[in-house]
Amino acid sequence: MNLVLQNVGRRFGRKWIVRHLDLEVGEGECLALLGPSGCGKSTTLRLIAGLDQPNEGSITIAGEDVTTVSPVDRRIGMVFQSYALFPHLTVFANLSLGLQVRGIAASERKQRVASVLALMQLEDLAERHPAELSGGQRQRVALARALLRDPLVYLLDEPMSNLDAQLREDLRPQLRHLILQGSQPVIYVTHDQHEAMAMAHRIAVMRDGKIEQIGTPQELYHNPLSLFVASFIGRPQINLLPAESGIIKAIRPEHLQLSSEGIPCRLVYREWLGTSQLLILESNRGRLRMLCASEITIPETIKLNWSPEKEHQFDASSGERC
Amino acid sequence: MIRQRNLWITLLLLWSLAPLLWQLYTSFCTHEALLQPLAEHNQRWTLDNYRQVLTANPPFWRYLLNSVIVGISSTGLTLLIAIPAAYSLSKVSQNVASAARLILLGAALFPYVLLFVALLELARSFNLGNNLLALSFPYAGLSMPLAVLLLLSAFRDLPSELEEAARLEGFDLWQRLRWVLIPLIGPATASTAILVFLFSWNEYPIALTWISRADLLTLPVAIARIAGSSVYSIPYGAYAAATVLGALPLLLLVLIFQRQIVSGLTQGAIKG
Repeated sequence: MNLVLQNVGRRFGRKWIVRHLDLEVGEGECLALLGPSGCGKSTTLRLIAGLDQPNEGSITIAGEDVTTVSPVDRRIGMVFQSYALFPHLTVFANLSLGLQVRGIAASERKQRVASVLALMQLEDLAERHPAELSGGQRQRVALARALLRDPLVYLLDEPMSNLDAQLREDLRPQLRHLILQGSQPVIYVTHDQHEAMAMAHRIAVMRDGKIEQIGTPQELYHNPLSLFVASFIGRPQINLLPAESGIIKAIRPEHLQLSSEGIPCRLVYREWLGTSQLLILESNRGRLRMLCASEITIPETIKLNWSPEKEHQFDASSGERC
Repeated sequence: MIRQRNLWITLLLLWSLAPLLWQLYTSFCTHEALLQPLAEHNQRWTLDNYRQVLTANPPFWRYLLNSVIVGISSTGLTLLIAIPAAYSLSKVSQNVASAARLILLGAALFPYVLLFVALLELARSFNLGNNLLALSFPYAGLSMPLAVLLLLSAFRDLPSELEEAARLEGFDLWQRLRWVLIPLIGPATASTAILVFLFSWNEYPIALTWISRADLLTLPVAIARIAGSSVYSIPYGAYAAATVLGALPLLLLVLIFQRQIVSGLTQGAIKG
């Protein structure tokens, strides 16, 4: 089973929301669509789900062209950002109604819902309404509904964005375990680069309706092909030095080193992060961020240097790597 | 502060309830006591007015029944058409929907009394006179603009992801309406239904002109007949008793559905 998008484009009026999208997600692979809001990642997801029709290009699921197939027949398991649980129905009814509509007998329905409730540890909540559930519980119900769909593709639209940070960290391994153990391709839409790196095998960074770069988290981190990807991936954000003869040099905060010669800097303030510390430094080449081990004591004025192979160079006008 | 507010609430309640209380008082008074309220009377309170209304020919419950039949059929017909209409208007493009809303608003504000002569002609040519169920055609038609507007805003307030989730789950259009959308616009449907029912319950000119058989009259026409039944005196007591009896079913309806009505009328005011 795989998912292939070829030259997919969608426009509203004369404005292209996404265009020239080429994607291939393999069996059991999780691909994150990462980008700022308005970059077209949710539109891409809706096109794959069939909730919206592309103006050009084709979409193939499990070897079958589904470009004009209705959402029902595409067999998509989707988790919406708002979870989209039916508020007037109990958890049990939320899960069984879809099975009922798809013509599955009552006894089998009951048994399948019960098994997925057990899997998601929701047995005690079966008779509750969505309003009586916490955010994490709602997310589990939404996920259970997607699992029951027995889908060919999983689409997750910002599934964690309504949860607090601690819960996200707790749920990530669970989500990976549940979804990635199957053979279905998974598309995970997020604007959080940290989450994308944690969840996905590969990340497609989107900007203005186009895929800027696609690759493993390591590739994106070590070899960003554009200024945009370089500054979108990796926190704290990469340092950009002012352009010199049309070239912008970029160095990640963790690759800056104290040295006897280099850019002279003055310490403005430091954030202590536990295992490391983030230093904000003022230099004649602008503000710099530096990440270093927390036990190092930093004098007021220092000199910074970096090894040349850690340096990224981008064309100042096009933003492309050079 | 609070004392002042309570005073205002009391005044407001008096202002709005006084006519009803006066009607109630009138319905239990003898004719003499009504005409000279300050004089001494052998008998001030009586149930005669109610007795008179209920034992008339045809008896009063007959009109009540007629009005209930017309009310239910008009409300049912209105919702049957307004729900699909509102749903489809919530799906069309913004421009078309705005234009439709404007037209509907215009239709809702149009004084319908101007139409009743034409409606009478229609009733005559289609042979719809003296037919209770036929009354629901004009009633449903006249209530339609308001009903569609109310239901349209209810549909628009539903998050679109709910319907999309249902589509992905395999629901067809009818199943989405039946299992997801209509249950969720329940409060708006209830308040719309009450408004339509209320309109049909109170409507006078069309009922007066379409129905002439005494046993088919609706309440407003019947009550007007009681008021004009005598040339020499106006039977205030009987008139009041009839109004009180006519208001009771409505009161009951509103009491039962008050929660839905309030939540339906305030829907859209606050985004959930």
